[in-house]
Amino acid sequence: MMHRLCRVVFAIAAGLGVAVGAGMAHAQEEDEGIVFEEDKVSEPPPESDPNIEMDDPAPAEGEPGEGTPEPDLAGDLAGIDQPAGAGQEAGKLGEDRVSWQDIVVVMRKPFLKLQRVEFMPMLGVTMNDNLISHVQFGGQVSYYLTDVLAVGAEGYVYAATLREPFDEVAFQARRLPAVNQYNYSAALNFSYVPIYGKFAILDQHIIHWESYFTGGVGFTQSEVIPRDPAYQPFTNFLVTPNVGVSMRFFLTKFLTVTVGLRDYVFIDQFEPADRVMYTTPEAAKENADSVLINHLMFQAGVSFWWPMSFEYTTFR
Amino acid sequence: MKRYPFVLPALILLTSVPALAQEIDDDGRNVAMSLAEQPAVRHRLLLVKGRFELTPAFEANVNADYKYTLSGGLRAEYHLSDMLSVGAVGFYGVSLNTGLTDRILGTLPDEDPDADPTPTREEYEQHLNDMPIHGAAYVSLTPWYGKLAAFGASFVNFDFYFSGGLAFAQLTSNCRLGVCSDDDPGGPTLIPNPDDPENPTIIPDNNANDDPAVNEGNKFGLYLGGGIHVFLNNWLALDFTVRNYLFSNNPSGLDTNFDYRVSGADNRLLNHLFLGVGASVFFPMRPDRTP
Repeated sequence: MMHRLCRVVFAIAAGLGVAVGAGMAHAQEEDEGIVFEEDKVSEPPPESDPNIEMDDPAPAEGEPGEGTPEPDLAGDLAGIDQPAGAGQEAGKLGEDRVSWQDIVVVMRKPFLKLQRVEFMPMLGVTMNDNLISHVQFGGQVSYYLTDVLAVGAEGYVYAATLREPFDEVAFQARRLPAVNQYNYSAALNFSYVPIYGKFAILDQHIIHWESYFTGGVGFTQSEVIPRDPAYQPFTNFLVTPNVGVSMRFFLTKFLTVTVGLRDYVFIDQFEPADRVMYTTPEAAKENADSVLINHLMFQAGVSFWWPMSFEYTTFR
Repeated sequence: MKRYPFVLPALILLTSVPALAQEIDDDGRNVAMSLAEQPAVRHRLLLVKGRFELTPAFEANVNADYKYTLSGGLRAEYHLSDMLSVGAVGFYGVSLNTGLTDRILGTLPDEDPDADPTPTREEYEQHLNDMPIHGAAYVSLTPWYGKLAAFGASFVNFDFYFSGGLAFAQLTSNCRLGVCSDDDPGGPTLIPNPDDPENPTIIPDNNANDDPAVNEGNKFGLYLGGGIHVFLNNWLALDFTVRNYLFSNNPSGLDTNFDYRVSGADNRLLNHLFLGVGASVFFPMRPDRTP
């Protein structure tokens, strides 16, 4: 029995030693004076190529495998952006791994959104109104049904500022333009992510980003600013579809930055020019002037994601 | 051998250790560590370095107060390096009234009522200026480049760039002599007094509507811009830009500082923000590639 065990151990050890030694020798032989030609690089390797190593498949979702390092965006990216030693430390890759095994031809998507919730405090500013400018404060909560499709809700309050032309027109043309301020708004939205990419900053650091479209419908409350302060204002409840496009930059596995444009479309009710005939707010509102408004806003926000991390379920 | 069954396997394994330890390059450095000195991207197409870029473009201003400018032009740029370039852009534009201008004009009278400071429709409209020509000479920095995938099917290169330089604009005003008839803006009118010829009656000029519009000529200022190239192939790219031309201007051509006359003091530094799109063609048409 002992003799059989010795033979088995011997055979396994010999095989391992010869395989490792031969493999390294073969790799060194290829490395010397190696020249990659562009076209050949793109050719798929033969399936039986013994030098190709496939990473083990990730364990099933929710069942991290033994010894599997915790996914970490900074760690993964550090493997590219930072010195190799630092990358291994940040990503907690196995210390006994050798360098070239850590290089994969095609990176995984570094950020997964499936079944995660995004909390995004936001700021926005009016882009296309030359009489009154609004700054919006609020936020958006989105749930990603898939990695590219989300449903969400948003809500904002507004702070209005009259712009220079408002006073200028009043002084030069003796005309007081009708303007409304927006008090608050809310909407339910869909988001779709058709574009994703990565870019290098100063040839040093790689940042991943994506672009997505948003569309939805909600409401806005606007309030008339009376030309004559002696009159009372009135408010309007406006059904407000919206469309937009945004860019999201991935910083960590739970933190992203978003900038974008959003067009809120509604038919607003303005104070009638002959307000003197309609002194009460109710009468003025009944005779208000309707105008189609495209309220274009530039928005920026920082997103926090929950759960704060995720696990890959496909091959690397 | 029977007493020490693990000796030989251990020796064989030990002979393979030097192979593992040979992760040292020719210069004696650890291979893994030497990766730190490598560029972020290898075999990268140098889509801009050493190339000349010619871009037919269109741009229109956003958030204009009184007149939109729709313009077409050309941008020429030479990329000194992967990140640095110099160039110039020029546009010829036509003007359209904004909604605000049309709303104001629709309420102004055709005739000039006595003792009413409200301008006529003609006075108001003819004081507004146009911007038929504008452009800039600039230095551009391209710190970001990358790849994007659209709908999982189309993969293209792109880069972001930022520009700064000298802005130029030619402004014109079409205020005819019959409208801008005051040859002494702000100057009082003297009416002879028959009873006291040496002390005529002085009527102050509080009407700026007939003053010449001091809002034309050549203007220079600061140019700031930014944009993105989306490369359709190695020599053609879509170019989306935001350009801001800052220079002194008085678009309304009327009194803005409440001194009841139109003068150069009514000009102030204004942003003229444009959004543009163009098609960039790069020469030579075959780019180099990094090692």
